[in-house]
Amino acid sequence: MSSSRSSAKPAFPDGGRARAWLDAVQIRFAAWLRRRGPVHPPLTLGYRQIYILPTRFGWLVGLLLFAMLLGSLNFNNNLGLFTTFLVAGIGLLSMHIAHRNLDGVRVAGCVPGQAFAGDSLELSISLRDTRDRARRGLVVESKGLPPAAGVDLPASASDETILSIPTRDRGWMEIPRIRLRTRHPLGWFEAWSWFWPEHRVLVWPRPADQAPPLLTAGRSDSRNRAGDESDEFHGLRDWREGDPLHRIAWKASQRHQHLLARQFTRPERDRIILRLADAPGRSLEDRISILVRWVIEAERNEFEYGMELGTTNIEPGAGRAHSVRCLNALGEFG
Amino acid sequence: MIGALSPTTVVLVVGAFLFAALPHLAAMPPWLAVIIVLAAVWRAAVEAFELRRPNWLIRGFLTFGGLALVILHYGTFWGRRAATVLLCVMIAAKLSEMFRLRDARVVAALGYFLIATQFLFSQKLLLFAYLVVGCALVTAALIRIQRDADSAPAPAKNFPPTAAGAASVVRDGFLLMLLAVPFALVLFALFPRLASPLWGMPENALDGRTGLSDEMSPGNIANLFADDSPAFRVSFDGPPPPRSERYWRGPVLWRFDGRTWRRLFYSNRAPERTPRPGPGAFAYTVQLEPSERRWLFSLDYPVRAPEDARLTADFELINKTPVTTLMSYDVISQPDFRDSVDLLQTMRRFALLLPEDSNPRTRAWAEELRSRYPADDRALIDAVLAWFNREDFFYSLETAPLGRHSADEFLFDLRVGYCEYYASAFVVLMRAAGIPARIVTGYQGGFWQAADEYLLVRQSDAHAWAEVWLEGQGWTRVDPTAAVSPSRIRDGARSAVSGSGGWLSSEWLYQLRNQYDRLQNLWNRWILGFDARRQQNFLASLGIDKLPPGLKAALLVVLAGLVLVPLALLLQSTTNGRARPDRLDRIWLRLRGRLRRAGIRPSIGETPLELAGRSAEDLDNGHELITLADEYSRLKYGAFGSAKAINAFGRKTDRWRPRRRNPSALKQS
Repeated sequence: MSSSRSSAKPAFPDGGRARAWLDAVQIRFAAWLRRRGPVHPPLTLGYRQIYILPTRFGWLVGLLLFAMLLGSLNFNNNLGLFTTFLVAGIGLLSMHIAHRNLDGVRVAGCVPGQAFAGDSLELSISLRDTRDRARRGLVVESKGLPPAAGVDLPASASDETILSIPTRDRGWMEIPRIRLRTRHPLGWFEAWSWFWPEHRVLVWPRPADQAPPLLTAGRSDSRNRAGDESDEFHGLRDWREGDPLHRIAWKASQRHQHLLARQFTRPERDRIILRLADAPGRSLEDRISILVRWVIEAERNEFEYGMELGTTNIEPGAGRAHSVRCLNALGEFG
Repeated sequence: MIGALSPTTVVLVVGAFLFAALPHLAAMPPWLAVIIVLAAVWRAAVEAFELRRPNWLIRGFLTFGGLALVILHYGTFWGRRAATVLLCVMIAAKLSEMFRLRDARVVAALGYFLIATQFLFSQKLLLFAYLVVGCALVTAALIRIQRDADSAPAPAKNFPPTAAGAASVVRDGFLLMLLAVPFALVLFALFPRLASPLWGMPENALDGRTGLSDEMSPGNIANLFADDSPAFRVSFDGPPPPRSERYWRGPVLWRFDGRTWRRLFYSNRAPERTPRPGPGAFAYTVQLEPSERRWLFSLDYPVRAPEDARLTADFELINKTPVTTLMSYDVISQPDFRDSVDLLQTMRRFALLLPEDSNPRTRAWAEELRSRYPADDRALIDAVLAWFNREDFFYSLETAPLGRHSADEFLFDLRVGYCEYYASAFVVLMRAAGIPARIVTGYQGGFWQAADEYLLVRQSDAHAWAEVWLEGQGWTRVDPTAAVSPSRIRDGARSAVSGSGGWLSSEWLYQLRNQYDRLQNLWNRWILGFDARRQQNFLASLGIDKLPPGLKAALLVVLAGLVLVPLALLLQSTTNGRARPDRLDRIWLRLRGRLRRAGIRPSIGETPLELAGRSAEDLDNGHELITLADEYSRLKYGAFGSAKAINAFGRKTDRWRPRRRNPSALKQS
């Protein structure tokens, strides 16, 4: 966990003065937002967190209304005026409804999944109604990303929605500011709230498409090739809790009136040590990618594997948790 | 975000458009209306029955063909009718390529605009229903579109999007619209009006359905007689004038070319002398329906012109601009006045002018009359009127057109006609006899709405009469029609032709129309006639007219806000809040209501079965109640709550009435 790669946002190639100034403004704006109230989930959206503005369609309708108003006023057309005012009233009500639709929604949690660089990270956001009101069309989005599907919440219910965030580079990634918005009921006004998930997510390096075969890669310190459990049937023993179902010898069990499990000779699992130095490749990133591919292969083949990454050593092991540990180490490396 | 339109949405948008376009469709040429309706219905059918979408060829034809048809028929895109028809055509064309949310939104929002444009043509009371329903439907369509936008691309995991069927969306649309009404009313009352328009009104707005024209050739106001719509309404400050004096003066016609009577340019001068208001004068307010003409109507003789109008030498009132919206004006008329005691020599010449070589028989008859009454014009006129009355002249709207010698043909051959025929022939006869004469057109009579005290003058009350200039008396009104058909003047045009034709509806319908007009009158006065002037008066009556403008604006905002807030809260409890009880629950709630009325109060937290068990003790038919409660629980929580079962349960439950056990019997047991 040495130097974390701070941002997943692509750095702008032209770091002009205007850009810097804009960044400064955004940072100040973000700070201002944070001062206004809680911004990290879990939070309940209230008056101070909800912003509302007309949508583009809303402006268009406004323009239409203005035209109607001018025309009606000019021709002293009272029914035309009434129509204009009626639609304006509907618009104001819709603004209010949009605000109420967000008010009292609780962003209960925001749990990121895991992703290899270049894949999208699934952020699961759970929303709950705290005011005993049905909510309609709550949409979660983040700048530059396609919005997640809208959520309808029945009164007092909760639901979750998944926002896909693309990743680019391996390493620690800040989850960008997330926007919960609604345009219910007419789409003339958009009410929204911002929140920052506090998590940072470690993005794993992208596995190489092509990697040398695993066995030649690791310096195997085992004698045999990987044992396949169906290979060498050894005998039967009493069934113990934890034995997988498919190992139960049903016919034999029937004969002996109690459950028996098949036993295999388990030649020592192949133990491989994956070393960065063994991975071919021109750059560090290429070699890390190959290592990732190896980890995935090893995991698939149920090898026992360890890893030597510069100063980090991971003892051989297997299983999901082990692979996550390895991948995390690779993600942070460098 | 680009989402997909669902079939329900498309059907709703098409429905809202068709409703908003309804009055426009009725006013445009039928074949164009049929094309628009077909295009719209087809688009809905494509979605509803999953037909093939219209291809570019058809869409192109709709757009450009529609444009071509409009220009062919109207010759222009300017003018209100052509423009709105074009709008309808374009929306219909847009419908055929409406595959995206954005397009649907634009189409729906234009629905509001389409509704508002209709009021450029008519603002009848009935159209208020159109306004309200139309706005609700358009709003419903917009709600549905937004539902589509939110549910794209895939529904969320646990709860699929709330069912947004057409019915529930339309209900929401109506609710939203209804709640906006008070806000609209406040704005309507307080929003400042323009005292004068910013730009002019395009000509020819009323589809050629115009009032009295400024020329007359016998036969051309006949179409007005068939028009039963109101021309204007008059409310008097004092008692109304007697029936026989209700001559509403319009254009005065001098020039005659043998067929057509026209105005004289010299008439546009200002009058040399105007009457003085005084005893015997009538003060009244006229509420004039839009006519596309500049004529204002008044009783003889208006003292001065209303604002923005002028008074001519012939005592016509001419407005500055054509009357295209309902307008009201105040007039004072003084009947006791002598118009032009001295007739200028030029005017006298014009008043005697007749086309050469025409009407020889009339001229001969005039000479004969003149020789009989050499000096006495009055006696001559009386003799003519008596002659009209004596001979076989008939008043009828069904008559023949006249040829070159129109007066000859009418006086000696045809002898069947209506006011224009009589007035025209009479004036020709007078001029031939050397008496200066002219024709006055306008309206005569009107229906007195006793309950609301106003006089309703219809287009069918249009009339033409004559004025002759008499030494010492000036221009004097003579109505030859009255000599032929006194009832025409006494009881109106309707009575004069009753039985002769079916151009007016039956008596009760006529009465009904009169009743309806009373509502229309109130509507006109309070809603349509609410202009800058009336608004000032209204504000003055509230005592807020003296406030500085900034404060007034603030007041407007505050009031509007005050109206809106409680409404929004109300809305919360209905649309956004809990779902309303479903059918099963409503059945049970009705039953609970009956129990409550029978004196059994359900307590909080009591289940239906507990309630039934408790109240069964007090009821004769308590066991039935227990059965019902049992069934309710099974339908509600079991797996068998089919619509059919619920219906059956509802029928059974709604028939059931609690019967209290006789208290005395209870005591004895």
